[in-house]
Amino acid sequence: MADAGTLPTARSRAMVREARHLLLTVAPGATWIVIFLVLPSAYLMGVAFMSTGPYGLPEMPLSLESFRRLAGFGFLGWSPGNLYTLLRSLVQTLVATALVVVIAYPIAYYIATSRARWRPIMLLAVVVPSWTNQVIRTFGWMNLLAPGTPLSQLAEGLGLIAPNMGLYPSNFAVTLGLVYNFLPFMVLPLYAAFEKLDTAQVEAARDLYASPLRAFRHAVFPQTLPGLLAGIVLVAIPAFGMYVIPELLGGGKGMMLGNLVANQFAGAANWPLGASGAILMLIATFIGLYAMRRIGRRLGGGEEVVI
Amino acid sequence: MTKRTFRRALAGFWWLTLLFLYLPLAVVALFSFNAANSAASFTGFSLRWYERLLGNEEILSALANSLVLAIVSSLIALGVGCLIGYGMYRHRHRKLGWLIVLIYLPIVLPDIVFGISEMAFFVKLHELTGLLQPGLGTMIIAHVTFQIPFVALIVYSRFVGLDPTLFEAAKDLYASPAKRARHFMLPTIKPALISAFFLSFTLSVDDFVISFFTAGPESATLPIYIWGAIKKGVSPEINAIATLMLGAVAVAAILSLVFSRRRPA
Repeated sequence: MADAGTLPTARSRAMVREARHLLLTVAPGATWIVIFLVLPSAYLMGVAFMSTGPYGLPEMPLSLESFRRLAGFGFLGWSPGNLYTLLRSLVQTLVATALVVVIAYPIAYYIATSRARWRPIMLLAVVVPSWTNQVIRTFGWMNLLAPGTPLSQLAEGLGLIAPNMGLYPSNFAVTLGLVYNFLPFMVLPLYAAFEKLDTAQVEAARDLYASPLRAFRHAVFPQTLPGLLAGIVLVAIPAFGMYVIPELLGGGKGMMLGNLVANQFAGAANWPLGASGAILMLIATFIGLYAMRRIGRRLGGGEEVVI
Repeated sequence: MTKRTFRRALAGFWWLTLLFLYLPLAVVALFSFNAANSAASFTGFSLRWYERLLGNEEILSALANSLVLAIVSSLIALGVGCLIGYGMYRHRHRKLGWLIVLIYLPIVLPDIVFGISEMAFFVKLHELTGLLQPGLGTMIIAHVTFQIPFVALIVYSRFVGLDPTLFEAAKDLYASPAKRARHFMLPTIKPALISAFFLSFTLSVDDFVISFFTAGPESATLPIYIWGAIKKGVSPEINAIATLMLGAVAVAAILSLVFSRRRPA
């Protein structure tokens, strides 16, 4: 920025006015977010580096104890419980994301190649369930998977579960819940990619006697890759920190990182331990965001909000 | 596989996926009309669970909390978010990277981290100053925080969609900025504001995790009440209240969509 004193007064006055305008419009909201989100998250990160006092509340001095606890080192030596939870979060996230891709890819293609006037309605049909309350949606699955329901009886008949056990609580139910919850987040970016698809490339490949499979691999798939990667970020990051679904559908043996963290602020009460788990989630989030930015640059377009 | 059978297989897969997406919601709605006190079988049509809702004080107070929370937080977010949206548009040629990061932060932060950060912060603040005891007030603050970005982005994209020469014309027509705001800005972005209000409202009513961690003992909202009821053991009343919520959210969401599509008069 040039020294204001060297500029013509009219221009510098206009600049001051513009800066004041920017401040007046943006400051209230920016201050709000700083005070009520940036500050609290910074405080939480600080808590992770404090010792645990009575009632699980944080106290001085600073320590790395909470991270040792997170890795499973407790008063009674090392136990694998927390690491299992971490591993389960990772596996659930990977499996659910993979399944979401497998379902969303043909769906997005089908919508994008349907008649133009149907497309908005089809997209709406996919998105509407995600507007409903997460607790209610998950409760719906509890109704469907409980012992004695047709789905549970079918699984019993096939010998997949023990009699009268029902399909939940189980890790399977958590995976199902995650897939259900995140499907729309994958369909939307993939649909956007399919809609922009340059069909001339596909025709050229076919004209050159490429098999449908080869044409797909070399002409279609690379073009949908940015949408696919965006979808993976949108699904995997929140899935990794999921709380409601494992809590309701997973039971004690289906716990994920989100439950481990939340429990430290409720029943079990160990704030520093919970905060150290939250830091892990934040790291995952920022990796995801960084990936998203890279993808965004490759797409070359502006940022898009997916609601 | 010929092209035709391929399309048919895709169509079949599409309908299966729709079934998957709507089955859990349909089951909740269906069992809300179940005469029997069981989630395993449907024995006949009845409105008894809806009648029970009306007599349940806890549910009625949760409903009131949900509505107050959603309306108050949406109105605050509308004011603050609309200003940011306009600021972002007017100064879009500046480097506003820090602002973008700030605005995206509430959207990208995992709910659980968002919720416990606020909780830890409010508890500490209350301990130090005696201010902000957990309750509706802290919930409103937390909700406004996650609503601001959506309002700002909706208003911003509305302005971006306008013809820039409109602003020049308005400058010539109305001398004072106040008059310009009243007679040009507000009418122009009215559909965006209405759409943003309904979206904020929906987000607030839908939220569970952040509400759960910022609530006080007296300020349970409907999702928190439902959560508690599920944890205590499933009661068919939950189906009824959940069905009403599904209906309400669907209406609000459709209204938001209608207004976001509408062109200004």
